[in-house]
Amino acid sequence: MADPIYQFEIVKIVDLPDVTVPGLGVVDLAITNSHVAMTIAFGLVVLLMTLVTARAKVVPGRLQAAGETLFGMIDNLTQSIIGHDGRKYFPFVFTIFMLILGMNLLGMFLTFTATAQLAVTATFALLTFGLVLAIGFAKNGFKFFLLFWPTGAPLVMRPIVGFIEFIAFMLRPLTLALRLFGNMLGGHVALKVFAGFVVSLGALAAGGGLGLLGLPAAALSLGMVLGLTALEFLVAFLQAFVFAVLTCIYLNDVVNLGEGH
Amino acid sequence: MSSPLPPEVPTPVEASAGVGETYTSTTEPAHGPEEGGGLPQFEFQHWGGQIIYLLFLFVVLYLLMAKVFAPRLRRVFEEREATISGAIASARQVQAEAAGQAEAAKAEVEQARAQSRATAAAAKARVTEAANARAAEEEAVVAARIAEAEGQIAKTRDAAMTNVATIAADTASAMVERLTGTSVKPAEAAAVKGA
Repeated sequence: MADPIYQFEIVKIVDLPDVTVPGLGVVDLAITNSHVAMTIAFGLVVLLMTLVTARAKVVPGRLQAAGETLFGMIDNLTQSIIGHDGRKYFPFVFTIFMLILGMNLLGMFLTFTATAQLAVTATFALLTFGLVLAIGFAKNGFKFFLLFWPTGAPLVMRPIVGFIEFIAFMLRPLTLALRLFGNMLGGHVALKVFAGFVVSLGALAAGGGLGLLGLPAAALSLGMVLGLTALEFLVAFLQAFVFAVLTCIYLNDVVNLGEGH
Repeated sequence: MSSPLPPEVPTPVEASAGVGETYTSTTEPAHGPEEGGGLPQFEFQHWGGQIIYLLFLFVVLYLLMAKVFAPRLRRVFEEREATISGAIASARQVQAEAAGQAEAAKAEVEQARAQSRATAAAAKARVTEAANARAAEEEAVVAARIAEAEGQIAKTRDAAMTNVATIAADTASAMVERLTGTSVKPAEAAAVKGA
């Protein structure tokens, strides 16, 4: 019961037959708890955005003001980092931000956190990486490779530095995926571990005798759970924001390639 | 290098084994020991379904954001900006109008003041002139009367002076008559007058 890893277990809720997708192999289409969590997060985001924009007024109400704050935050982000073209990429960044934020926050209320699944974070990371590659080649053609050619370095060093730049570039999706995954995984494991301490130390104290010493430790653990919960809410928002910021920075690299890179 | 790329992952046959299975040796045995006994996240048979479903959700949400939500909010933003700038412009205009009116009022007041000052000055001049004229007129009348009175006084005095001579002669003759007992002849009385 107190296994802190158990919360990440994928459980099938409705089993559907496997489908063979050409090029991908066999895909299990079963509806799992991960699907449910993603769907709820998606539904909440759509609901929020619908409520915010359905009767949007010039003088906003409370909910609209909250929605506009999120909207404006990402809007400023895209425009300040990518520049004038930023508005074109806003829907992509905002979609990623809202989905990750929704899943992160939902994980604070459900027993399952979608963004603590590497498959989910990797998908987000590869979406960003894929878009960066697509825009890079579509906008710049083969000049895209100038991204790895450090004009500031001495000529002899350029191939080496360029190679390092290339490796760093290729590692971006990995770091994107692992940062979010690691934060959510670590936070929820820590929460579960301390919550488990409360239960097991409490049980020890219930046995009486020397076990009563477990009571202060249990109280301390409970305090830790409280503090960590607050911290996790912060992390949930922060990681979504960091993902959005990095997406903007990576997009800026290829959108404004060769302009004061 | 553990690439998180999906294509290599969806695992074969054991996927049908169902819920109970824990760490069956998947096609990627390298991960097993590396991750300290297997996080559920590395059970790759569950990856394909999640990834495809998430991509589907992402595309739907992206389309909603790009086609519905973002344009709606942008419209509101633009409307708000237009409202605010319109209000500011109209406020500026009203302010300028008010300033113009204040300027006009000030000029008007200034003009009225100047006019009233001029009127006052004119009235004062007229009054002074009239007063001076009347004063001069009256002075002339008074001077004429003074002159007339002086003439009369002189006449009366002259008359009195002639009478004085007669009275003196009479008095002298009366005195002489009392003292001497003789009457005075008119020639002698005239001599007294000359003394």
